[in-house]
Amino acid sequence: MAHAAQVGLQDATSPIMEELITFHDHALMIIFLICFLVLYALFLTLTTKLTNTNISDAQEMETVWTILPAIILVLIALPSLRILYMTDEINNPSLTIKSIGHQWYWTYEYTDYGGLIFNSYMLPPLFLEPGDLRLLDVDNRVVLPIEAPIRMMITSQDVLHSWAVPTLGLKTDAIPGRLNQTTFTATRPGVYYGQCSEICGANHSFMPIVLELIPLKIFEMGPVFTL
Amino acid sequence: MLATRVFSLVGKRAISTSVCVRAHESVVKSEDFSLPAYMDRRDHPLPEVAHVKHLSASQKALKEKEKASWSSLSMDEKVESLCFLLHKCGFGEKWLNVAEEGAADLCACKWLSSLPPVYRIKFKESFAEMNRGSNEWKTVVGGAMFFIGFTALVIMWQKHYVYGPLPQSFDKEWVAKQTKRMLDMKVNPIQGLASKWDYEKNEWKK
Repeated sequence: MAHAAQVGLQDATSPIMEELITFHDHALMIIFLICFLVLYALFLTLTTKLTNTNISDAQEMETVWTILPAIILVLIALPSLRILYMTDEINNPSLTIKSIGHQWYWTYEYTDYGGLIFNSYMLPPLFLEPGDLRLLDVDNRVVLPIEAPIRMMITSQDVLHSWAVPTLGLKTDAIPGRLNQTTFTATRPGVYYGQCSEICGANHSFMPIVLELIPLKIFEMGPVFTL
Repeated sequence: MLATRVFSLVGKRAISTSVCVRAHESVVKSEDFSLPAYMDRRDHPLPEVAHVKHLSASQKALKEKEKASWSSLSMDEKVESLCFLLHKCGFGEKWLNVAEEGAADLCACKWLSSLPPVYRIKFKESFAEMNRGSNEWKTVVGGAMFFIGFTALVIMWQKHYVYGPLPQSFDKEWVAKQTKRMLDMKVNPIQGLASKWDYEKNEWKK
Protein backbone atom coordinates (compact mmCIF):
# COMPACT_ATOMS: atom_id res chain seq x y z
CA MET A 1 0.00 0.00 0.00
CA ALA A 2 1.05 3.59 -0.35
CA HIS A 3 2.00 5.75 2.62
CA ALA A 4 0.37 9.15 2.99
CA ALA A 5 1.24 11.64 0.25
CA GLN A 6 3.23 9.04 -1.64
CA VAL A 7 3.93 10.17 -5.19
CA GLY A 8 6.12 7.40 -6.61
CA LEU A 9 5.33 3.78 -7.42
CA GLN A 10 5.01 1.19 -4.67
CA ASP A 11 7.78 -1.40 -4.33
CA ALA A 12 7.37 -4.35 -6.67
CA THR A 13 5.99 -7.66 -5.49
CA SER A 14 6.18 -9.41 -8.85
CA PRO A 15 8.84 -9.62 -11.57
CA ILE A 16 6.62 -7.78 -14.07
CA MET A 17 6.25 -4.87 -11.71
CA GLU A 18 10.02 -4.73 -11.30
CA GLU A 19 10.28 -4.41 -15.08
CA LEU A 20 7.62 -1.74 -15.11
CA ILE A 21 9.45 0.31 -12.47
CA THR A 22 12.63 0.18 -14.52
CA PHE A 23 10.73 1.17 -17.66
CA HIS A 24 9.08 4.02 -15.81
CA ASP A 25 12.48 5.33 -14.70
CA HIS A 26 13.74 5.09 -18.28
CA ALA A 27 10.75 6.90 -19.81
CA LEU A 28 10.72 9.53 -17.08
CA MET A 29 14.38 10.33 -17.65
CA ILE A 30 13.67 10.86 -21.36
CA ILE A 31 10.74 13.09 -20.46
CA PHE A 32 12.89 15.15 -18.09
CA LEU A 33 15.56 15.59 -20.75
CA ILE A 34 13.05 16.76 -23.35
CA CYS A 35 11.30 19.10 -20.91
CA PHE A 36 14.58 20.60 -19.81
CA LEU A 37 15.61 21.14 -23.41
CA VAL A 38 12.31 22.83 -24.24
CA LEU A 39 12.47 25.03 -21.14
CA TYR A 40 15.99 26.05 -22.06
CA ALA A 41 14.94 26.91 -25.61
CA LEU A 42 12.03 28.91 -24.24
CA PHE A 43 14.31 30.77 -21.86
CA LEU A 44 16.65 31.64 -24.71
CA THR A 45 13.71 32.82 -26.82
CA LEU A 46 12.48 35.09 -24.05
CA THR A 47 15.84 36.64 -23.23
CA THR A 48 17.49 37.04 -26.63
CA LYS A 49 18.65 40.40 -27.89
CA LEU A 50 18.61 39.25 -31.52
CA THR A 51 15.93 40.73 -33.73
CA ASN A 52 16.32 39.20 -37.18
CA THR A 53 12.91 37.88 -38.14
CA ASN A 54 13.76 36.93 -41.70
CA ILE A 55 15.62 33.70 -41.09
CA SER A 56 14.44 30.86 -43.29
CA ASP A 57 15.70 27.56 -44.71
CA ALA A 58 17.09 25.57 -41.81
CA GLN A 59 17.13 22.20 -43.51
CA GLU A 60 19.82 20.62 -41.35
CA MET A 61 18.09 21.59 -38.11
CA GLU A 62 14.74 20.37 -39.42
CA THR A 63 16.24 17.02 -40.35
CA VAL A 64 17.78 16.62 -36.91
CA TRP A 65 14.62 17.50 -35.07
CA THR A 66 12.69 14.97 -37.10
CA ILE A 67 15.10 12.07 -36.90
CA LEU A 68 16.03 12.51 -33.26
CA PRO A 69 12.46 12.29 -31.88
CA ALA A 70 11.86 9.25 -34.06
CA ILE A 71 14.88 7.57 -32.49
CA ILE A 72 13.71 8.55 -29.02
CA LEU A 73 10.29 7.08 -29.70
CA VAL A 74 11.87 3.81 -30.79
CA LEU A 75 13.94 3.79 -27.61
CA ILE A 76 10.72 4.10 -25.62
CA ALA A 77 8.67 1.67 -27.71
CA LEU A 78 11.09 -1.26 -27.63
CA PRO A 79 11.20 -1.75 -23.83
CA SER A 80 7.49 -1.04 -23.66
CA LEU A 81 6.58 -3.75 -26.13
CA ARG A 82 9.01 -6.12 -24.48
CA ILE A 83 7.16 -5.82 -21.20
CA LEU A 84 3.80 -6.02 -22.92
CA TYR A 85 4.69 -9.34 -24.47
CA MET A 86 6.23 -10.52 -21.23
CA THR A 87 2.86 -10.17 -19.52
CA ASP A 88 1.35 -12.52 -22.10
CA GLU A 89 3.92 -15.26 -21.71
CA ILE A 90 2.62 -18.74 -21.10
CA ASN A 91 3.36 -19.50 -17.49
CA ASN A 92 1.08 -22.44 -16.60
CA PRO A 93 -0.80 -21.03 -13.66
CA SER A 94 -1.15 -23.25 -10.62
CA LEU A 95 -4.39 -21.69 -9.52
CA THR A 96 -7.29 -19.87 -11.13
CA ILE A 97 -9.36 -17.39 -9.14
CA LYS A 98 -12.42 -15.64 -10.44
CA SER A 99 -13.08 -12.08 -9.35
CA ILE A 100 -16.51 -10.60 -10.01
CA GLY A 101 -17.22 -6.95 -9.51
CA HIS A 102 -20.49 -5.75 -8.09
CA GLN A 103 -21.83 -2.44 -6.91
CA TRP A 104 -20.04 -2.08 -4.48
CA TYR A 105 -18.04 -5.15 -3.48
CA TRP A 106 -16.05 -7.98 -5.01
CA THR A 107 -16.90 -11.68 -5.14
CA TYR A 108 -14.07 -14.21 -5.30
CA GLU A 109 -14.47 -17.79 -6.46
CA TYR A 110 -11.94 -20.51 -5.75
CA THR A 111 -13.37 -23.33 -7.81
CA ASP A 112 -10.27 -25.31 -8.83
CA TYR A 113 -10.32 -27.73 -5.94
CA GLY A 114 -13.75 -27.34 -4.51
CA GLY A 115 -16.26 -24.57 -4.34
CA LEU A 116 -15.29 -21.59 -2.25
CA ILE A 117 -17.15 -18.40 -3.06
CA PHE A 118 -17.24 -15.34 -0.84
CA ASN A 119 -17.84 -11.60 -0.92
CA SER A 120 -15.31 -8.98 0.05
CA TYR A 121 -16.75 -5.75 1.48
CA MET A 122 -14.85 -2.73 2.70
CA LEU A 123 -14.88 -2.40 6.49
CA PRO A 124 -17.23 0.49 7.34
CA PRO A 125 -15.57 3.22 9.45
CA LEU A 126 -17.55 2.29 12.54
CA PHE A 127 -16.26 -1.29 12.34
CA LEU A 128 -12.60 -0.29 12.27
CA GLU A 129 -10.21 -1.02 15.11
CA PRO A 130 -7.51 1.54 15.93
CA GLY A 131 -4.63 0.88 13.55
CA ASP A 132 -6.83 -0.44 10.72
CA LEU A 133 -6.49 1.13 7.31
CA ARG A 134 -9.55 3.28 6.64
CA LEU A 135 -11.01 2.77 3.12
CA LEU A 136 -8.62 -0.12 2.46
CA ASP A 137 -9.27 -2.98 4.84
CA VAL A 138 -11.94 -5.55 3.95
CA ASP A 139 -13.77 -8.24 5.84
CA ASN A 140 -12.57 -11.17 3.69
CA ARG A 141 -9.21 -11.01 1.99
CA VAL A 142 -8.12 -12.97 -1.08
CA VAL A 143 -5.63 -15.49 0.30
CA LEU A 144 -3.12 -16.78 -2.23
CA PRO A 145 0.24 -18.60 -2.27
CA ILE A 146 3.50 -16.85 -3.17
CA GLU A 147 5.92 -17.99 -5.85
CA ALA A 148 3.19 -19.71 -7.85
CA PRO A 149 1.74 -18.32 -11.06
CA ILE A 150 -1.88 -17.41 -10.45
CA ARG A 151 -4.49 -16.69 -13.07
CA MET A 152 -7.23 -14.15 -12.28
CA MET A 153 -10.40 -14.16 -14.34
CA ILE A 154 -12.09 -10.81 -13.92
CA THR A 155 -15.64 -9.92 -14.81
CA SER A 156 -18.52 -7.87 -13.56
CA GLN A 157 -22.07 -8.58 -12.68
CA ASP A 158 -23.46 -5.11 -13.26
CA VAL A 159 -21.40 -2.10 -14.38
CA LEU A 160 -17.78 -1.56 -15.28
CA HIS A 161 -15.26 -1.99 -12.48
CA SER A 162 -11.51 -2.49 -12.54
CA TRP A 163 -9.50 -4.89 -10.40
CA ALA A 164 -6.19 -3.26 -9.53
CA VAL A 165 -3.28 -4.10 -7.24
CA PRO A 166 -0.48 -1.60 -7.90
CA THR A 167 2.33 -3.42 -6.16
CA LEU A 168 1.82 -6.43 -8.42
CA GLY A 169 1.49 -4.22 -11.49
CA LEU A 170 -2.08 -5.36 -12.09
CA LYS A 171 -5.07 -3.50 -13.40
CA THR A 172 -7.74 -5.34 -15.34
CA ASP A 173 -11.16 -4.01 -16.22
CA ALA A 174 -14.19 -5.93 -15.03
CA ILE A 175 -16.64 -5.78 -17.89
CA PRO A 176 -20.13 -7.26 -17.71
CA GLY A 177 -20.53 -10.08 -20.18
CA ARG A 178 -16.78 -10.47 -20.69
CA LEU A 179 -14.03 -12.50 -19.05
CA ASN A 180 -10.68 -10.76 -18.80
CA GLN A 181 -7.62 -12.68 -17.74
CA THR A 182 -4.49 -11.59 -15.96
CA THR A 183 -1.72 -13.59 -14.37
CA PHE A 184 0.85 -12.82 -11.74
CA THR A 185 3.49 -14.41 -9.55
CA ALA A 186 4.11 -12.82 -6.16
CA THR A 187 7.66 -12.94 -4.84
CA ARG A 188 7.10 -11.81 -1.25
CA PRO A 189 4.51 -12.74 1.36
CA GLY A 190 2.43 -9.93 2.75
CA VAL A 191 -0.83 -8.06 2.55
CA TYR A 192 -1.32 -6.01 -0.61
CA TYR A 193 -4.00 -3.44 -1.26
CA GLY A 194 -5.69 -2.04 -4.31
CA GLN A 195 -8.81 -0.05 -5.11
CA CYS A 196 -11.52 -0.27 -7.75
CA SER A 197 -10.20 1.63 -10.75
CA GLU A 198 -13.24 2.25 -12.93
CA ILE A 199 -15.99 4.62 -11.91
CA CYS A 200 -18.97 2.53 -10.94
CA GLY A 201 -21.33 4.64 -8.91
CA ALA A 202 -21.67 6.22 -5.51
CA ASN A 203 -19.36 3.85 -3.62
CA HIS A 204 -16.72 3.43 -6.29
CA SER A 205 -14.07 4.64 -3.82
CA PHE A 206 -15.26 2.17 -1.19
CA MET A 207 -14.73 -1.26 -2.73
CA PRO A 208 -11.06 -2.08 -2.20
CA ILE A 209 -9.16 -5.25 -3.05
CA VAL A 210 -6.94 -6.95 -0.48
CA LEU A 211 -4.64 -9.85 -1.26
CA GLU A 212 -3.01 -11.88 1.48
CA LEU A 213 -0.01 -13.73 0.07
CA ILE A 214 1.20 -16.59 2.25
CA PRO A 215 3.83 -19.32 1.81
CA LEU A 216 2.67 -22.20 -0.35
CA LYS A 217 3.06 -24.77 2.42
CA ILE A 218 0.67 -22.90 4.65
CA PHE A 219 -1.73 -22.31 1.76
CA GLU A 220 -1.80 -26.01 1.03
CA MET A 221 -2.80 -26.76 4.58
CA GLY A 222 -6.08 -25.27 3.64
CA PRO A 223 -6.70 -22.22 5.83
CA VAL A 224 -8.50 -20.65 2.90
CA PHE A 225 -10.89 -23.50 2.53
CA THR A 226 -12.11 -23.61 6.08
CA LEU A 227 -14.46 -20.69 5.63
CA MET B 1 -14.89 54.81 0.49
CA LEU B 2 -11.70 53.08 1.55
CA ALA B 3 -12.21 50.50 -1.16
CA THR B 4 -12.51 53.22 -3.77
CA ARG B 5 -9.24 54.75 -2.62
CA VAL B 6 -7.45 51.40 -2.60
CA PHE B 7 -8.72 50.55 -6.06
CA SER B 8 -7.71 53.89 -7.49
CA LEU B 9 -4.24 53.54 -5.91
CA VAL B 10 -3.67 50.10 -7.36
CA GLY B 11 -5.28 51.04 -10.65
CA LYS B 12 -3.16 54.13 -11.10
CA ARG B 13 -0.03 52.15 -10.32
CA ALA B 14 -1.02 49.34 -12.66
CA ILE B 15 -1.59 51.75 -15.52
CA SER B 16 1.45 53.93 -14.89
CA THR B 17 3.86 50.99 -14.77
CA SER B 18 2.18 49.15 -17.60
CA VAL B 19 4.44 48.31 -20.49
CA CYS B 20 1.51 48.33 -22.92
CA VAL B 21 0.57 51.92 -22.17
CA ARG B 22 4.14 53.02 -22.60
CA ALA B 23 4.25 51.52 -26.06
CA HIS B 24 1.28 53.52 -27.28
CA GLU B 25 1.87 56.96 -25.86
CA SER B 26 0.80 58.73 -29.02
CA VAL B 27 -2.80 58.46 -30.14
CA VAL B 28 -3.19 56.96 -33.60
CA LYS B 29 -6.43 57.05 -35.54
CA SER B 30 -7.50 53.96 -37.41
CA GLU B 31 -7.41 55.83 -40.73
CA ASP B 32 -3.67 56.33 -40.29
CA PHE B 33 -2.80 52.65 -40.12
CA SER B 34 -1.96 52.35 -43.81
CA LEU B 35 0.30 55.42 -43.82
CA PRO B 36 4.01 55.25 -43.02
CA ALA B 37 4.36 55.75 -39.29
CA TYR B 38 7.09 56.30 -36.80
CA MET B 39 7.69 53.57 -34.22
CA ASP B 40 10.33 52.88 -31.59
CA ARG B 41 10.92 49.15 -32.04
CA ARG B 42 14.01 47.14 -31.33
CA ASP B 43 13.42 44.91 -34.34
CA HIS B 44 12.53 47.82 -36.64
CA PRO B 45 15.58 50.08 -36.34
CA LEU B 46 14.87 52.29 -39.38
CA PRO B 47 11.34 53.69 -39.09
CA GLU B 48 9.58 54.89 -42.24
CA VAL B 49 9.37 58.52 -41.18
CA ALA B 50 11.34 60.83 -38.95
CA HIS B 51 10.05 61.61 -35.53
CA VAL B 52 9.84 65.37 -36.02
CA LYS B 53 7.98 66.26 -39.18
CA HIS B 54 8.08 70.03 -38.90
CA LEU B 55 11.51 71.38 -38.00
CA SER B 56 11.77 74.49 -35.89
CA ALA B 57 14.00 77.36 -36.94
CA SER B 58 16.97 76.34 -34.81
CA GLN B 59 16.64 72.76 -35.95
CA LYS B 60 16.61 73.84 -39.60
CA ALA B 61 19.68 75.96 -39.00
CA LEU B 62 21.54 73.05 -37.41
CA LYS B 63 20.71 70.81 -40.32
CA GLU B 64 22.08 73.35 -42.78
CA LYS B 65 25.26 73.77 -40.79
CA GLU B 66 25.75 70.01 -40.72
CA LYS B 67 25.79 69.90 -44.49
CA ALA B 68 28.78 72.23 -44.65
CA SER B 69 32.35 71.40 -43.61
CA TRP B 70 32.58 70.14 -40.08
CA SER B 71 35.63 72.24 -39.25
CA SER B 72 33.30 75.21 -39.01
CA LEU B 73 31.42 73.63 -36.13
CA SER B 74 32.25 74.63 -32.59
CA MET B 75 33.10 71.91 -30.10
CA ASP B 76 29.59 71.94 -28.68
CA GLU B 77 28.08 71.86 -32.12
CA LYS B 78 30.35 68.99 -33.01
CA VAL B 79 29.05 67.08 -30.07
CA GLU B 80 25.57 68.00 -31.14
CA SER B 81 26.10 67.03 -34.73
CA LEU B 82 25.26 63.45 -35.29
CA CYS B 83 27.19 63.06 -38.51
CA PHE B 84 30.37 64.29 -36.96
CA LEU B 85 30.00 61.90 -34.05
CA LEU B 86 29.42 58.99 -36.30
CA HIS B 87 32.38 59.83 -38.45
CA LYS B 88 34.48 59.77 -35.34
CA CYS B 89 33.11 56.40 -34.50
CA GLY B 90 34.33 55.04 -37.79
CA PHE B 91 31.38 55.32 -40.08
CA GLY B 92 32.55 56.60 -43.46
CA GLU B 93 30.84 59.02 -45.82
CA LYS B 94 28.69 56.38 -47.43
CA TRP B 95 27.30 55.49 -44.06
CA LEU B 96 26.12 58.98 -43.39
CA ASN B 97 22.53 58.38 -44.44
CA VAL B 98 22.19 55.17 -42.58
CA ALA B 99 24.22 56.52 -39.74
CA GLU B 100 21.99 59.52 -39.43
CA GLU B 101 19.04 57.31 -38.75
CA GLY B 102 19.91 56.20 -35.31
CA ALA B 103 23.21 54.42 -35.52
CA ALA B 104 24.25 56.77 -32.77
CA ASP B 105 23.43 54.02 -30.38
CA LEU B 106 25.80 51.64 -32.07
CA CYS B 107 28.65 53.85 -31.01
CA ALA B 108 29.72 53.37 -27.45
CA CYS B 109 31.09 56.85 -27.21
CA LYS B 110 30.74 58.44 -23.85
CA TRP B 111 29.67 61.84 -25.14
CA LEU B 112 26.39 60.33 -26.29
CA SER B 113 24.98 60.28 -22.81
CA SER B 114 22.78 63.16 -23.81
CA LEU B 115 21.95 62.66 -27.44
CA PRO B 116 22.32 65.52 -29.88
CA PRO B 117 19.29 67.42 -31.19
CA VAL B 118 19.92 66.05 -34.68
CA TYR B 119 19.25 62.60 -33.32
CA ARG B 120 16.11 63.76 -31.63
CA ILE B 121 14.80 65.16 -34.90
CA LYS B 122 14.93 61.72 -36.45
CA PHE B 123 14.11 59.61 -33.42
CA LYS B 124 11.94 59.91 -30.37
CA GLU B 125 13.82 57.48 -28.14
CA SER B 126 17.25 55.94 -28.28
CA PHE B 127 17.65 52.19 -28.16
CA ALA B 128 18.67 52.41 -24.53
CA GLU B 129 15.54 54.41 -23.75
CA MET B 130 13.11 52.23 -25.67
CA ASN B 131 14.54 49.04 -24.16
CA ARG B 132 14.45 50.26 -20.60
CA GLY B 133 12.78 48.10 -18.04
CA SER B 134 9.77 49.18 -16.08
CA ASN B 135 8.42 48.69 -12.60
CA GLU B 136 5.44 46.71 -13.87
CA TRP B 137 6.76 43.50 -12.38
CA LYS B 138 6.43 44.90 -8.91
CA THR B 139 2.74 45.64 -9.51
CA VAL B 140 2.18 42.14 -10.88
CA VAL B 141 4.08 40.31 -8.14
CA GLY B 142 2.45 42.43 -5.46
CA GLY B 143 -1.00 41.82 -6.91
CA ALA B 144 -0.39 38.07 -7.16
CA MET B 145 0.83 37.87 -3.57
CA PHE B 146 -2.19 39.85 -2.42
CA PHE B 147 -4.60 37.44 -4.05
CA ILE B 148 -2.71 34.41 -2.74
CA GLY B 149 -3.00 35.88 0.73
CA PHE B 150 -6.70 36.52 0.21
CA THR B 151 -7.14 32.91 -0.89
CA ALA B 152 -5.47 31.78 2.31
CA LEU B 153 -8.06 33.78 4.25
CA VAL B 154 -10.84 32.13 2.28
CA ILE B 155 -9.42 28.69 3.07
CA MET B 156 -9.17 29.51 6.77
CA TRP B 157 -12.81 30.58 6.76
CA GLN B 158 -13.81 27.37 5.00
CA LYS B 159 -11.94 25.18 7.51
CA HIS B 160 -13.70 26.92 10.36
CA TYR B 161 -17.23 27.29 9.04
CA VAL B 162 -17.74 24.64 6.38
CA TYR B 163 -15.67 21.49 6.82
CA GLY B 164 -16.65 18.75 9.24
CA PRO B 165 -14.27 17.00 11.62
CA LEU B 166 -11.46 14.76 10.31
CA PRO B 167 -12.06 10.99 10.45
CA GLN B 168 -10.80 9.21 13.57
CA SER B 169 -8.06 7.52 11.52
CA PHE B 170 -6.21 10.85 11.63
CA ASP B 171 -5.84 10.77 15.43
CA LYS B 172 -2.26 10.53 16.58
CA GLU B 173 -2.76 7.22 18.40
CA TRP B 174 -4.49 5.73 15.40
CA VAL B 175 -1.74 6.84 13.04
CA ALA B 176 0.88 5.42 15.41
CA LYS B 177 -0.88 2.03 15.57
CA GLN B 178 -1.39 2.13 11.81
CA THR B 179 2.27 2.86 11.14
CA LYS B 180 3.30 0.05 13.50
CA ARG B 181 1.00 -2.29 11.62
CA MET B 182 2.44 -1.21 8.28
CA LEU B 183 5.95 -1.85 9.57
CA ASP B 184 4.92 -5.28 10.87
CA MET B 185 3.51 -6.02 7.40
CA LYS B 186 6.79 -4.84 5.89
CA VAL B 187 5.04 -2.43 3.53
CA ASN B 188 7.40 -1.37 0.70
CA PRO B 189 10.48 -2.98 2.25
CA ILE B 190 12.83 -2.27 -0.66
CA GLN B 191 12.84 1.48 -1.00
CA GLY B 192 9.71 2.62 0.83
CA LEU B 193 8.46 2.76 4.37
CA ALA B 194 9.79 -0.48 5.87
CA SER B 195 13.20 0.07 4.31
CA LYS B 196 13.56 3.13 6.54
CA TRP B 197 12.91 1.22 9.76
CA ASP B 198 15.68 -0.52 11.67
CA TYR B 199 14.10 -3.81 12.76
CA GLU B 200 16.97 -4.74 15.09
CA LYS B 201 17.06 -1.54 17.06
CA ASN B 202 13.31 -0.96 16.74
CA GLU B 203 13.66 2.62 15.61
CA TRP B 204 13.81 4.64 12.40
CA LYS B 205 17.09 4.34 10.56
CA LYS B 206 19.33 7.33 10.98
